[in-house]
Amino acid sequence: MSADDSGGIRDLLDRAAARALDLTVLERLALAAASTVLALCIGLVVVAAAGYDPVAFLANVFEGSFGDASATARTLKFTTVLVLTGVAVAIAFRAGVFNIGVQGQFVVGGFVTVVTILWLAPMLPASPAAGVVLMVLGTFAAVVAAGLYAALPGVLKAYAGANEIITTIMLNFVATGVVGYLVEGPFRGEGNRAPNTARLPEYVSLPRVVFENPDFSVVGFAVALLVVALVAVLMVRTTVGYDMVTSGYQQAAATYSGVDAKRTIVTTMTLSGMVAGVAGAVFAIMIQGYYSDPAGIGTYGFDAIAVSLLAANNPLGVVPASLLFGGLDSAGSYISINSDVPVQLIDGIVGLVVLFVAAPELFRMAARRTGLGGEER
Amino acid sequence: MTGTTQPPAVRMEGITKRFGDVVANDAVDFTLERGSVHALLGENGSGKTTLMSVLYGLYEKDDGDVFVDGERRAFDSPRDAMDAGIGMIHQHFQLVEPMTVLQNVILGHEPTDGGLVDESSARERVVDICRRYDFDVDRYLDTPVRDLDLGARQRVEIVKSLYRGADVLVFDEPTAVLTPQEVDRLVDVMNELTAAGRSLVFITHKLDEALAVADEVTVLRDGEVIGTVDAADTTEQQLARMMVGREVLTERRPRERDPGPPRLVAEGLHVDGDRSREQVTDVDLTVHEGEILGLAGVQGNGQTELVEAITGQRSVSAGRIRFDGEDITGTSRRRRIRAGIAYVPEDRQTEGLVQEYDLVRNALLGNQTVGQFVTRRFVDWPAVRDHAEAIVTEYDVQPPTPDARAGSLSGGNQQKFIVGREIEHDPDVMVAAHPTRGVDIGSIEFIHDRLVALRETGLAVLLVSSKLEEIRALSDRIAVMYEGEFIDVVDPDDVTDEDLGLLMAGRRLDAESRAGSETDAAEDEVES
Repeated sequence: MSADDSGGIRDLLDRAAARALDLTVLERLALAAASTVLALCIGLVVVAAAGYDPVAFLANVFEGSFGDASATARTLKFTTVLVLTGVAVAIAFRAGVFNIGVQGQFVVGGFVTVVTILWLAPMLPASPAAGVVLMVLGTFAAVVAAGLYAALPGVLKAYAGANEIITTIMLNFVATGVVGYLVEGPFRGEGNRAPNTARLPEYVSLPRVVFENPDFSVVGFAVALLVVALVAVLMVRTTVGYDMVTSGYQQAAATYSGVDAKRTIVTTMTLSGMVAGVAGAVFAIMIQGYYSDPAGIGTYGFDAIAVSLLAANNPLGVVPASLLFGGLDSAGSYISINSDVPVQLIDGIVGLVVLFVAAPELFRMAARRTGLGGEER
Repeated sequence: MTGTTQPPAVRMEGITKRFGDVVANDAVDFTLERGSVHALLGENGSGKTTLMSVLYGLYEKDDGDVFVDGERRAFDSPRDAMDAGIGMIHQHFQLVEPMTVLQNVILGHEPTDGGLVDESSARERVVDICRRYDFDVDRYLDTPVRDLDLGARQRVEIVKSLYRGADVLVFDEPTAVLTPQEVDRLVDVMNELTAAGRSLVFITHKLDEALAVADEVTVLRDGEVIGTVDAADTTEQQLARMMVGREVLTERRPRERDPGPPRLVAEGLHVDGDRSREQVTDVDLTVHEGEILGLAGVQGNGQTELVEAITGQRSVSAGRIRFDGEDITGTSRRRRIRAGIAYVPEDRQTEGLVQEYDLVRNALLGNQTVGQFVTRRFVDWPAVRDHAEAIVTEYDVQPPTPDARAGSLSGGNQQKFIVGREIEHDPDVMVAAHPTRGVDIGSIEFIHDRLVALRETGLAVLLVSSKLEEIRALSDRIAVMYEGEFIDVVDPDDVTDEDLGLLMAGRRLDAESRAGSETDAAEDEVES
């Protein structure tokens, strides 16, 4: 533990941290781009070493992410959810609260959306207009439920000193487990063999514009971009955002300026969870059309952490970062079907990209938290 | 003390250390005699810890020489210093809480036997050390550190240093976290250590402790050595004066009009510090309209907690605070800002400014509810920018652009910006905590002018400072704080620096010394 055991390394880290903290936005973007290219290069070496053709693999990556309309739609489908979960993470990280529970909030939001719509649908005539009303109500319910689910660890941190990293991770398990039980038992659709809820009615779906894919709608993507814009305005133009961001940079300065630290933690977590709820609703309505065991729906809430880090926790930066990860996900599912490269290898390469692009940003955050690179920051 | 033939344990000559354009140590000489305790006394930021960090290999010096046992040495890291027998007892203990005392002591220096940690021989050595110095640490070697109180943890740190062969021990503000009983215990421990020939450096800003423990005292101020004195030949007042110093530029600036009605009143205030020890005890305070009340005292006597209670950043455990007759004891910081209490905080680096923000965004700090800049929670950034520009121009902030990052400004310019921002609040009460600490002479005068101008326009000003000359020059009344209490409230014209020094050291002025003070003052003037 003592500082004297690692003088040389500490010194090196210190200088690196000082440099990392001084990077401009442009330098950080260049760094992210270079990291991506480097990670892909290393990935190609691994592919070649495993006995596959790296050139064909690279071609497949492009083919599978933006090769044709269907690939692009698949990329945008993943991107849409990642933008929303990414913004949810970014809100919290920006305010210095480490919400690792976006996955759980995302699950709660999605499940509540489906249950709400299934519950209300019989009360309304089966029409496209009713579909819109149901989707709005379902999303609203998701926002409330996921917001409350995130507020819980916020309250625990603010008023009982419970570390939010630990409580949010635990609440991820709770959400996955409880929703898993509910879709298996009480909420299983009649006659379903798989542990799924009943399907949403046909008329409860987003319109297909431009792309014909059944599980992507430009409207869903537009909703995600709208949320990004709202959050960006909130963070930059309002006092609520100013208080949150100031708390994230320097808690003592925020307190000095009259910010109630405890209330800000709860507000931050609630907002973050609300956005995760929108992500859950969009996922449930646009992609699934029902709800299944959350253990198998993908790790959007965790991938969002890498997305947010790559975007330097900037809501606007989340969009291109999500596009990168969405493209990689999309390429991954294409390659696993259309080539003999094993899916594990693709996951490994995606992991490399995550590692490479997220590490510098993670290091910056760690430096700020630990005082590396100069105490005065 | 030993004979003169032996070289001193540590000798530092002409040590200079700069951080950017700030000189933290300016050609400092320091000698630690073998088997003695040498206190390093000074305010926060006077350079004591910097000097010892140079010795300990944490900082690289810019100039000067370090001799250990008469040999010239240069340490690149704490490990080098440790190998040369120099150990440091940090204010924040470097212990792994879930591990046992024994594991902590030997951590990083475990004796091994065939690749395994040889616990029994380690235990033997540690017990041996404890016997030699009559420590109690060997009685709880297998207890996890988290179960020990702070005094015991400190002794574990000391044993750890001794285990690593420390001959010179540097104690960085060792009493800050201890109860009075634990302090007594520490003094015993230090005596045991010197009796066994170890040499100790005792960094502190508490006068009585320096005198009680040390053989010699070196006083630092603004990075320079003011003097080194024998503890036996000096007094607390003398040390207090050396510490806070006297500058020539400040002359008394009495008020030009009579004070108005009371604006800020505190009654029977009790405030707890961070470690829930009471730091402010039964304080009554009144600041009138058109008056500067100076709050004097050696740092750490409750001034910080009192100010935080008044400005709304710390809750009080008993008592009332009134502002214009209205009880504000339980109101939030934000409501007090809106009510017109401006505050120049003690710590401009962590509280007064967000280092990563430019000055525009810093201009909004504390103004988040001011209608001029915010309409229904939406920030009018162009208006804030205009405001920042106005502060920068009016208060002569360099560089003269609101786009500068706050962290890139020098201390004086940061402070001018904060003072400007707080005054432009158009407040009714100004609380200024150490408004000129670490600020260059020109800026000091500028800030003083502004504070005096505020008084003349009828504000109630509470000025906290540990600089005597500043307090004397600006205050209309001086309250002296000692160990959380107002030891006295005096008229600056009625007391000498010696009287203030006595008060700051906790001695009440009796009638006799008060009467004699007038002749002292006359003598003082002849001297200077």
